Amino acid sequence: MLLALSAMVLLFSACGQAETTEPELSTLRVAVPTFPNSLDASVAAERNAQNVSWQMFDSLVWANEQNVIEPALAERWEVSEDGREFTFFLRQNVEFHNGEPFNADAVVFSWERGIQPHIEWSDRWARASAVERIDDYTVLITTAEPDPLLLGVMAQHWNIVPPVYTQEVGDDRFGESPVGTGPFRFVEWVREDRIVLERNDSYWREGLPRVDRVVFRPIPEASTRMAAIQTGEIDIVNRLTVEQAGALESIDGVRVVTYPIDRVFYITFNNLTSGIGEPTMDPRVRRAMNYAVDRQAIIDSLFGGRAQLATGLMTPSNLGYDPTIEPFPFDPDRARELLAEAGFPDGFEIGFAAPAGAYTNFEQVAEAVQGFLGDVGIVTDLEIMESGRFWDLQAEKQLPPLFGDSWSERSGESLPRLRGALGGWDASFSQWSDPVIDDLLDRISVTVDQNERAALYRELHRYMQEDPPFIYLYIPETFEAVRSNVQDYLPRAAEDFFLMFTYLE
Amino acid sequence: MQRYLLSRAIQSVMLMFGVLVLVFFLVRLTGDPARLMMPRDASPADVEAFREAMGFNEPLVRQFFGFMTNALRGDFGRSLHFRAPAMRMVLERMPATLELALAALAFALFVAIPLGVIGGSRPGTIWDTICRGVGLVGQTIPNFWLALMMISFFSVSLGWFPTFGRGGVRSIVLPAVALGLFPLGKFTRLVRSAVLEVRNEDYIRTAYSKGLLDHRVYTHHIFLNVSVTLVSIVGVQFGYLLGGSIYIETIFSWPGVGRMIHEAVQARDFPLVQALAFVSAGFIVLLNLLTDIAYVLIDPRIRYED
Amino acid sequence: MKIDALDSAGLRSTPERFARIVLRDKAGLSGLVLFVAIVLVAIAAPLISPHDPLQQNLRNSRLPPAWQDGGNLEHPLGTDNLGRDMLSRIVYGSRVSLTVGFFGVLIASSIGLLFGLTAGYVGGKTDSAIMAVTNLVLSVPYLLLVVVVASVLGRSLLNVILIFGFTNAPLFIRVTRGEVLRLRNSGYVESAISIGASRRHVIWIHILPNLIGPILTVATFEMSGMIFYEAGLGFLGLSVPPSIPSWGNMLAAGRQYIQFSPWIATFPGLAIVLTSLSMNLLGDWMRDVLDPRQRRNSK
Repeated sequence: MLLALSAMVLLFSACGQAETTEPELSTLRVAVPTFPNSLDASVAAERNAQNVSWQMFDSLVWANEQNVIEPALAERWEVSEDGREFTFFLRQNVEFHNGEPFNADAVVFSWERGIQPHIEWSDRWARASAVERIDDYTVLITTAEPDPLLLGVMAQHWNIVPPVYTQEVGDDRFGESPVGTGPFRFVEWVREDRIVLERNDSYWREGLPRVDRVVFRPIPEASTRMAAIQTGEIDIVNRLTVEQAGALESIDGVRVVTYPIDRVFYITFNNLTSGIGEPTMDPRVRRAMNYAVDRQAIIDSLFGGRAQLATGLMTPSNLGYDPTIEPFPFDPDRARELLAEAGFPDGFEIGFAAPAGAYTNFEQVAEAVQGFLGDVGIVTDLEIMESGRFWDLQAEKQLPPLFGDSWSERSGESLPRLRGALGGWDASFSQWSDPVIDDLLDRISVTVDQNERAALYRELHRYMQEDPPFIYLYIPETFEAVRSNVQDYLPRAAEDFFLMFTYLE
Repeated sequence: MQRYLLSRAIQSVMLMFGVLVLVFFLVRLTGDPARLMMPRDASPADVEAFREAMGFNEPLVRQFFGFMTNALRGDFGRSLHFRAPAMRMVLERMPATLELALAALAFALFVAIPLGVIGGSRPGTIWDTICRGVGLVGQTIPNFWLALMMISFFSVSLGWFPTFGRGGVRSIVLPAVALGLFPLGKFTRLVRSAVLEVRNEDYIRTAYSKGLLDHRVYTHHIFLNVSVTLVSIVGVQFGYLLGGSIYIETIFSWPGVGRMIHEAVQARDFPLVQALAFVSAGFIVLLNLLTDIAYVLIDPRIRYED
Repeated sequence: MKIDALDSAGLRSTPERFARIVLRDKAGLSGLVLFVAIVLVAIAAPLISPHDPLQQNLRNSRLPPAWQDGGNLEHPLGTDNLGRDMLSRIVYGSRVSLTVGFFGVLIASSIGLLFGLTAGYVGGKTDSAIMAVTNLVLSVPYLLLVVVVASVLGRSLLNVILIFGFTNAPLFIRVTRGEVLRLRNSGYVESAISIGASRRHVIWIHILPNLIGPILTVATFEMSGMIFYEAGLGFLGLSVPPSIPSWGNMLAAGRQYIQFSPWIATFPGLAIVLTSLSMNLLGDWMRDVLDPRQRRNSK
């Protein structure tokens, strides 16, 4: 009892002293819609958990708001002629939060840990086939094939960890109380309730971070998140619906933040299994179907106008996106003309499927598409499937010739999405094979030079508009809200953010 | 009496053993636990690797004995999603849920006992109507609906209570009321009937009307009957509170097991679900055992057979 | 106070007395009227709903009810987030709720009757085995069990019915067994057995008819519970597929809008409350009329 009392007295006096010497601590309270499974970025299962984790870590490189790779823990790097060897020159005098020095050994250790199969994102670490220490502040990273996406993947997934501490506590404990070099250091994690981080005073980026404390609060229920930002219990919320964002816009003290995310919705055609022999083998028919669907009307009515028309399965934030390519206009007459030209003046019947409950309003999108196709004589037999079954069939290439789906990508380039959706028999979720596309993708995947790669993307982008393997639908936006005193909160197309720039007015 | 309690204790242990069996087979209902636990878009190769790693390829009998031996040591495997021992995760969250459940129970009893006693003592009056009304309403309003309405009214419009989280007395008010509503209805009805029952027992009525029974003894009878009724129902209601916490904890971001059940089910984290089911059932079984003991203590007339 | 089973049978055969009891209990009567009305609504759904419950009209989404500003009589209860008519969806939702409740109870009570009768009548090891399993299932928190099984099986109307049917069966087993034990030990069954009545005769003539009352009473409460919990499953996204307009799904979809379009969640909520209320009143009343032994008090 006495002990507790004296402890309290000490505590209060300590607080008193702190108040006299320092201004009030600024605390940023951020709602996360899921419960992080781990605070280790290599184990954090999904985006929200990663967002929490990455405030405490750095990688060798960093992708800025324009998705351009910048130095981080590496001050600079060199790439060999054949594009397979990257030499990184590391930043000196950087310390982990626990005082361990950052050096080449930490990088090598992090990679050796990262490629172990029990690490969630081990495939991302395994893009490098070797990581070697040259000297204390130089590492050589080798890939089996030229890998133009390596830097982007490193920025997204390679969190550098302190060897001594990590080995001491093991991977599980590390995920519960992580130590990195990042702008914030870990303080406490009250499971399911709060994660508290504090400013790393000796952060290597001068003048950052700009708040003293960050508190993450998991709030899974969207309506509760909305209530919490209204009452001011939370400074930043994400994953709101378009209607919630609309309602919040009229509320004092709250500012709505909205931006397009790196995800594309589309209706596929099939030339591998169920689509063989169907009218959709003819490119004129596929173009006709792109003309037939009034996608802007779908966006306006289902998403309050808050989405962009898609072209070529790329998003504006992707490398090589060509903004001069016009989306297919809504032109049912042109569609009928093309159908007649292809020999189907009266249209045809074809199977169509979409997953239930997987994406916002997507069942309604599919129904709308069905209606528009019907208007030009294409009768579709739409089946809204339970999503588990839908993806099983998709992996087995057993879905009807038309189906609706979407693909998100976090690497900043559209290559993985294009490969996944168009890779022919080699890709488990592709129903399409086109030698021209294959050739361009092959070349992109071995070209390291950014400009050359961008040019190849542009060529592919144009080709896919002329001979479309999809009905392109839309690129959705995401809705977040902040209290109006929150400044420089800069979320990005992958729905990730770095709070080191953010401050409270 | 000791023999009775001993046999009840043995029964409880056997019951928990049965729960283990149930929990083992529950995740095998569809035949393929690996497909059930893996993400929907996992490749067949990944599923196969997972199946091998989890031992789902072994003969069922061996899987069963493996599961049972580990479970008896308190090892329910590792949570697939959280990558930590499943049992530890459940136990860590239990205090928050118990706190909420007890608060809900306290709220329910605090309102139900006086209301039920008043209603039961004056049948046919307006008090009785109110009492019966509360009993019905409590049992017919979905708690999650009430929870959302209360947040939007008491937290957002009036600003009286926090909208979410656990911390301080004010934070528990709304979740406890939302969760306690159903037991409140149940308790009110039961207390009312218990009071009525005593009033209607012929010997008591006669004794009371003839002045042979003084008021204190009469009150004592009522008190006894009400407590026996309530004690008998608390175990069952506790089961309800654990179930109801799935909704209430999710809506109010209350860091307990209820929210974890929702989460584990969504993440298809079935080792965690198994541990959750076992611990929850354990609580119910334990409470029922305590109920029986309490029964014996309150009312020694209860027979020990059966 | 104790009324013999024969007496209660006699009571049922006297129409005036029956009617008097029905009319005397106003609460029970209103429950009955309400319930019959809900059943009629479900049956006549295509006739009374003004629109197709699945027909969306995105230009007309989140229209308030007719009596609020901006509402109109074409959509008396307004429209939901996809512009579907709320009234029509509530009307059609009653079909889902009643289907789930009715078939759920049918399965649960059939299992309950079969195993309860067996346990109670055969006794011995069979009884112990059946009751062991029953107590086992009852020791897992009900909602937890339902949620876990639903997540294992996936979303479909049939699954929801099966889940409720099987998870509620133990309760029916318990009630049936209790009744059977009581009846077996009652004088008139014992005497029937003593004069050489066959087992079949005893079960069909003396036991089954007397089970109807208690089973119906429990069934009413359980059906109300299933309707209630269907909403709960819907809230967690584990009930029928979203394309089916169920009250649970409507509530789940409406909760995002609760602060600015509250009617989307309010009406399905009210529908659940009303249905549940009617069945609870009906259940109370049935307990009094059909099962006088359990009659607790003078009304």
